[in-house]
Amino acid sequence: MKQFGKIFGFELKGYFKNKIFVGVTIFLVAAIAVVMFIPNIASLFGSGGENKRPIMLVSSSDAQLLSIVGDYFDKAFGDYEVRVTDESIEDIRKEILSGEAECAFVLDGITSYTYYVDNLSLSDGNILIADSVLQEIYRLDAMIRYGLTPEQAAQIMTTEIESTTATLGKDQVKNFFYTYIMIFALYMVILLYGQMVASGVATEKSSRAMELLITSAKPVNMMFGKVLAACLAGLIQLIAIFGSALIFYNINKNAWSGNLIMQSIFNIPVDLFLYLPTFFILGFLIYAFLYGAIGSTASKLEDINTSVMPITFLFIIAFFVVIFSMMNGNVDNTVMKICSYVPFTSPMAMFTRIAMSSVAWYEIVVSIGILMASVIGVGFLAARIYRVGVLLYGTRPKLGAIIKMLFRR
Amino acid sequence: MILEIKDIDKSFGAKHVLKGVSFTAESGKAFGLLGRNGAGKTTAIRILMNVIPADGGEILVDGKPIDYKTMGLGYLPEERGLYPKKIIADQLEYFASLKGMKTKEARKSIDYWLERLGMKEYRNKRLDTLSKGNQQKIQLITALSHDPSIIILDEPFSGLDPVNAMLLKDVVKEQIALGKIVLFSSHQMSYIEEFCDGIAIINSGKIVLHGDLKEIKRNYARDRLIVNTPLPEKIKKDFGEACTETENGSLMLKLNDASEKQSVMKRLVESYDIDEVKVFEPSLNDIFVEYAGQEI
Repeated sequence: MKQFGKIFGFELKGYFKNKIFVGVTIFLVAAIAVVMFIPNIASLFGSGGENKRPIMLVSSSDAQLLSIVGDYFDKAFGDYEVRVTDESIEDIRKEILSGEAECAFVLDGITSYTYYVDNLSLSDGNILIADSVLQEIYRLDAMIRYGLTPEQAAQIMTTEIESTTATLGKDQVKNFFYTYIMIFALYMVILLYGQMVASGVATEKSSRAMELLITSAKPVNMMFGKVLAACLAGLIQLIAIFGSALIFYNINKNAWSGNLIMQSIFNIPVDLFLYLPTFFILGFLIYAFLYGAIGSTASKLEDINTSVMPITFLFIIAFFVVIFSMMNGNVDNTVMKICSYVPFTSPMAMFTRIAMSSVAWYEIVVSIGILMASVIGVGFLAARIYRVGVLLYGTRPKLGAIIKMLFRR
Repeated sequence: MILEIKDIDKSFGAKHVLKGVSFTAESGKAFGLLGRNGAGKTTAIRILMNVIPADGGEILVDGKPIDYKTMGLGYLPEERGLYPKKIIADQLEYFASLKGMKTKEARKSIDYWLERLGMKEYRNKRLDTLSKGNQQKIQLITALSHDPSIIILDEPFSGLDPVNAMLLKDVVKEQIALGKIVLFSSHQMSYIEEFCDGIAIINSGKIVLHGDLKEIKRNYARDRLIVNTPLPEKIKKDFGEACTETENGSLMLKLNDASEKQSVMKRLVESYDIDEVKVFEPSLNDIFVEYAGQEI
């Protein structure tokens, strides 16, 4: 136990003395600070930007239609400076190509138009807005023609439906973003630190520090010390990043009040804050042990990337199953239910289901129980692989050979 | 204290690496474990260090199975290596503490050794800024700092300049004088010959020769004489085929029987111009080549 403590302390100190580790953490915290302060910073500079709206041209041979449509478009396209024009189509094209105007609507009648734009972007919603505006004008016009007064017609057009949604389980609109962020953080941290553990072991081996380590310390202590130190370092990094995000958000809370996504991200239920570290630690450990074991079988640092591939794939598949289920909105499908009990996928799958759906408490207990038992099992297995692996130099042993070695004694 | 390695057997898969290896080392004396590359020395050392388990046999200290919890072992591996990017004092402290030392004692001992080996100025430097020989001295500290009772030195002199080799010799002599068991493994026979009282030669996983080096040498048939003379031609002519010239210019006379030794010596001194005449004793090098030369 004392030896484990020494190794744990040495490894942990290694992380905090690592300039890249410290640098990345500081950079991320700073980046978050900048993002969180943007609304406040933007409002300082924002006042001057008003009259720089891009120009939208509207043209039609029907002068009466043009003036009505011009008024409506002016209201509908707040981001544009809408200009009614009687220039020829040729001139309009030139203006758009030269960048003077951004786009143009040339109306043949109320139900037909041509939209001119230089480069049509994927997110260009102008056609949809124009369609609905023109439909509205058409309907109003038709209603008046069928004998309604303009007031009656307007009232019909502006009728709103009142509704409220009573969410009995979880509201996926609200919890989607923070679940996504947490899952993604879990994914990144496990992948990064897993690789760090693997390359740490391989470095000790290739620098032959292993010769001395293996004669000084028990493999189990070395494995657990190394992996748990990486876990704590990762956790501290996560806490630093998420904690600073939370603090900066609260400082700028008023400025973000109009942003629903931001509000939903920071409106995380307290119980999730308990589940997150639980699944993070357990998920981290199970993968880090595997990475460490694989690292011990490589004799050169260059071998690491190919050796860890199977584990990385396993992990990426687990990640995508979860992400696709989240996108579908059905996080309780059969695959997810199975995944939430399989130790290698449950940290992400079960956490997502807890966050986005309703899961009975005993399901959570069973899932965590299986995961804990697996972590301990994988840990000792990894230590055995490590014990054998670190003494092997030269060609990397095949998976079958490693398994054979484990069962020989 | 007596360290006994008894009938150690070890196979890796189908490969039988150690076939009943036994030898004995005593405290206050240095012991040389010799063998060609791949003979099984490192495996034997790893088993002794409790890194890998033996398939059979036992390791005894004063007749009782070795207790790794109380018995301190220091090891200078042949493949040198520490953390190249870490501060020297930090890693020395780490390795000492892994061996069970308290931080305070570890620091004191490391400072002593850095001073003793003339490495004090490098205390807070990164290991990879040091020359190879100096890195080796740092490595030596990891083997000695926790004051082990058994010290295993694998090729300790390789890579050291004559001054540092002298320093290491002094340190080793000190450790022997302190009553420790020092186990050498080396291909540099001159050093083994200088330090070691007992030796064991291992060939293809078997001990082929084991015992006190002086006795081993004495047990060789004393039927050859080494003669140094300014006029070798005459002796060569008189003794005919029994006389050969050695590499360094001395003559070697093969006698018909060891009992002739005295009379031949007398005859030589009386009849020829002789600078020196002595009984030939094989060097460790000769013994090594004889016993470890062929695969068995």
